[in-house]
Amino acid sequence: MKDLTIRNLSKTYFDPYVGTNVTAVHDVSLKVEQGEFVCIVGPSGCGKTTILNMIAGFIPHTGGEILVGGRPVKGPGPDRGVVFQSFALFPWRTVLENVAFGPKMRGVRKVEREKIAHEYLALAKLTEAAGRYPAELSGGMQQRVGVVRALANEPDVLLMDEPFASVDAQTRMTLQEELTRIWQEKRPTVIFITHDVAEAVFLANRVVALSKGRVLDDIAVDLPRPRSWDALNDDARFKELSGRVLQLVRSA
Amino acid sequence: MKQFLLKMWSHCVRLTARWPSIASIAPFIPVVAAWWIVTELQIFPRVFLPGPAEVVRSFGSLVYMGILPAYLQDSIVRLAVGAFWGVALGIPLGILVGLNQRARTALWPLLLFFQAIGDIAWLPILVIWFGYGLTTITVVIVYTVIFPVVLNTVLGVRSIPITLHRAAQSLGASRIRMLWEVVLPGALPNIVTGLRNGLGYGWRALIATEIIVGTSGIGFLMFDPRRSGSVVEILLGMIILGILWYIVDSWILAPIERATGQRWGLVTR
Repeated sequence: MKDLTIRNLSKTYFDPYVGTNVTAVHDVSLKVEQGEFVCIVGPSGCGKTTILNMIAGFIPHTGGEILVGGRPVKGPGPDRGVVFQSFALFPWRTVLENVAFGPKMRGVRKVEREKIAHEYLALAKLTEAAGRYPAELSGGMQQRVGVVRALANEPDVLLMDEPFASVDAQTRMTLQEELTRIWQEKRPTVIFITHDVAEAVFLANRVVALSKGRVLDDIAVDLPRPRSWDALNDDARFKELSGRVLQLVRSA
Repeated sequence: MKQFLLKMWSHCVRLTARWPSIASIAPFIPVVAAWWIVTELQIFPRVFLPGPAEVVRSFGSLVYMGILPAYLQDSIVRLAVGAFWGVALGIPLGILVGLNQRARTALWPLLLFFQAIGDIAWLPILVIWFGYGLTTITVVIVYTVIFPVVLNTVLGVRSIPITLHRAAQSLGASRIRMLWEVVLPGALPNIVTGLRNGLGYGWRALIATEIIVGTSGIGFLMFDPRRSGSVVEILLGMIILGILWYIVDSWILAPIERATGQRWGLVTR
C-alpha cells in the first residue's frame, strides 16, 4: 500500500450538444497518506465519479497530475484496485475464480492463487459461496465479492465508487461495518466515493466535501474504532461531524 | 372422475420427468394420427399422399440398401465442414468488428450488403466458377453460416458492460488476455444464438443446394424421385430434415446454452 497525491487535477471535455467545453473537475488537490481511509462526498454531478475514474485511469485527465507512490498514472493498472457500484463481477467465473482473477493475471499458480482467494473469501465470510456463480448471490454478497476481489490483488490504493449504493439499507449497514473491520485488519489506502454523508463519516478517517467539481473542505473524523452503527447512532460526536459535512455539502 | 384425471396427470408428469424424450415425442402423436386417418380415408389419391406405413417401409428399404445412411452422412459432413469454417472465420471477424471502431466503419456496410445476397442467389455464379460439386456446396454453407455468426458476435461483444472491461484492466489483464477472459465469454451467449441461426439457415441452404447441384445427400434424395413421381421418398426426406434439426438442437445447441448463458444468469431460462 502506498500514498496517493493529486495536484491541480482538472477535467474538461467538449459537449457536442451544448457546443462548448464543460469543466467537470476544477483544480482539485488531495493528498491521501498510506493506510488512510478517505471519503469523497458530494451530490450527483459534482464530479466525484469523474475524479475516481481519472485516478483509476479509465478516462484521461486534462490538467494537473495524479501520483501513486510517486509514479504518475497512465491508464488502468493493478496498482489501483477498483470496486464498482454495479459490482462488475465476471458472470462466467465462480466466486472463487473472480477473487483469484487478479493473482491469475500476475501469473500466480493455480494452487497458490486459490489459497489466496480462499483466505480473502474467509475475511468477508464468503467461504460457503466459493463455488457459486455471481448471479446466484444476493446484491450484498456480490459486493462483498467485489471488495475482496479488489483486495486479493493487493493494490497500492483501493478505489471504491459508491459501492453500497445499490444494496438495501440493512445490508448496507452490515457491509459498512464489515468494510471498517477489513480495513482495520489489512489497512489498505482507500478512496471511497459516496453521496451519503452518514456513510462517509462512519467509514472515513477524513471526509472531503465536493461540489461542482471543487473541493469545499476537508474534515478529519476522530471517531474511535472499531465502529458500529449500534454505538454511533446516538453518538454526539458522530452527529456533530455528520451535521457539519451535511451543512457544507448543502450550502454549496 | 376428477380424482382419476388428477391421477392420470400425475402419472404423466412422473413419466415425462423420468424419460424426458417422451415429452418431446408426445406432441407428434396427434399429427401422425391425423396424417394416418387422412390417408386411410383416401381423401387424396395414394400416389399424392402416401401414409405413414409406406414412408416407414421406404425408410426400411433405403436403409437396407445403404442409400439413406450414405446420403445422411454426406449431408451432415457437408454441414459440419461448412459450419466449422463459418464459425472459425466468423467469430474472429465478429470480435474484430465489435472491438475496433475503424474495422466497424470499414466492414459493417460490406457485411450488410453481402448478407442481403442470399446463399442461393450465389448458386448460378458458383456453379459456373466451381461446377457441380463439393466446392460449390461448401462455399454456400460457409457463406450462409458466417453472417449470423459475425453479426451476433458483434452484438455480443458490444453488449459487454464497460465496467467488466475496466474491472479486468484494473486487475491487471493485458489486452490479449482481455479477449479470452472478458470478450469471448461475454459474447458467448450471442455467439451461440448466431450459431443456432447460422446452422438453421445453413441446413436449409444445404438442402436447396443439394436439390440444385447435388449428386447425393438428403436434398438429392428428395428431388431425385420426382422423375418417377415417388412421393414417399420426398415425405421421408422432409421428416428426416425435421428429426435431424431436432437432434442438432437438443443434443448440441441446447446443452451449450445451458452450460453458458443460462448457467451464468445472462439469459433467462
